[in-house]
Amino acid sequence: MNDPQSTPPLLSPSSGGPPSLPPGASPDEAVPIANLVGAIEAILRQPRRVMFQLRQPGSGRLIAAMLTVSVVCGLIYGLIAGTFSGGTQLWAAPVKIACGLLISGFICLPSLYIFSCLSGSSARLSEVFGLVAGLLLLMTVLLIGFAPVAWVFSQSTESVAAMGALHLAFWFIATCFGLRFLGAAFAHYGHSGDGLKFWIAIFLLVMLQMTAALRPILGTAETVLPKEKQFFISHWIENLRAGK
Amino acid sequence: MSAATVNFKMRQVSVLLGGNPDTLKDWAAQWEKSRVLGYVAVIITGAGLYGAAMGYWRSPVQAGYNLVKFPLVILATTMGNALLNGMLAPLLGLDLRFRQSLMLVLMSFTIASAILGSFAPIVFFIVWNTPSLAGRQEVSWAAYNFVQLTQVVFIAFAGVAANARLFRLLHSLSGSSRVARKILFAWLAGNLFLGSQLCWNLRPFIGSPVLPVEFFRPTAFQGNFYETVFRAIGHLLSS
Repeated sequence: MNDPQSTPPLLSPSSGGPPSLPPGASPDEAVPIANLVGAIEAILRQPRRVMFQLRQPGSGRLIAAMLTVSVVCGLIYGLIAGTFSGGTQLWAAPVKIACGLLISGFICLPSLYIFSCLSGSSARLSEVFGLVAGLLLLMTVLLIGFAPVAWVFSQSTESVAAMGALHLAFWFIATCFGLRFLGAAFAHYGHSGDGLKFWIAIFLLVMLQMTAALRPILGTAETVLPKEKQFFISHWIENLRAGK
Repeated sequence: MSAATVNFKMRQVSVLLGGNPDTLKDWAAQWEKSRVLGYVAVIITGAGLYGAAMGYWRSPVQAGYNLVKFPLVILATTMGNALLNGMLAPLLGLDLRFRQSLMLVLMSFTIASAILGSFAPIVFFIVWNTPSLAGRQEVSWAAYNFVQLTQVVFIAFAGVAANARLFRLLHSLSGSSRVARKILFAWLAGNLFLGSQLCWNLRPFIGSPVLPVEFFRPTAFQGNFYETVFRAIGHLLSS
């Protein structure tokens, strides 16, 4: 029998660290992030460690690691999304989801930097780039967590609208956590005002528009990319009306 | 049963049901194969027996199917959401390792299964005293509703008791009722969402008397639980 008296490793509340202190104040947060798995661990358990490491010289490796993991996780989640339709979508959906997330991040990066400067933040461009990479990493890692559920539903329904709504719900939850990380990081950079909120609205709109710009991500079409330009709301309404 | 499972003493189930956070905190911190196998054994036994008692109303064969299907739903839900639950705990303020969060969810399902297993004889007795569904074209609504209501009460009781203990444990681990509530809500939402769909895929658990007894319906993977609910609401509103 297992001995309940033996001393187990202690469980502890999340080591988020005291919010008032700057990242790196605790020795744990100053430990460098060595590899890809370390980046995932850190973004989930010690986001302040990521924030601190992004301020250190040589943060490029960490940013590259976070972007690499984001792409891989995006591809895996895309593969799960692609199993809904099969065929071409088995490669098209992963590529579109990974590229869509990455492009959204890159499109919105300059505006985030400008907004952060306008709000009096001390963050450098490379740090802002790192924070966007962290945002994408957290989003895609969480999407991987949702992947088994998405797969079960992909195998159970033929409705594009239902699957679309489900993927959007998962994307929204993942994005909320990602944006929370971004907000916490900017709070330490002395960011003030509503600039970040405004940027978040823009970022969400850009990502939502990606669902129309890269359509079909679910379902099938004659071409891999759309022939006509369309706003995402009208694309969704069209799908709902078609009852797909 | 493996030797490891034998090491899991049944006494531990009563401690688990007691829900003493100090003891359970230690158990959750350790990943021990024998304990995990013990939890799985309790889930298979408890949920299996309850499912069998429920399915017996339809037919003995359905009872046999439920013996497998009921624990399968619980274990598949636990494993399907394990990764997500493991990620949500640290994000919501409690630094649990993946295995620790899996252990906590498994402990909570073990409590629910043990309670359900204890209700199995009662359900069997109720079903025994209810006109059987086998070979009938029409079912008395009173009987059907009574059985249905009983299932709802028993399953709800097991769910509430298990989650109340999980909450106490999360509270003890995090030191904050706010964090514990957030994690419990997130885990519950995820487990209910996937669990409902898996129940839908693995239907029937009782089954209509006019349909054959089957392990899976031929339409098991056509449509999903939520579409059906929305469609039903639509029909209700349009009628």
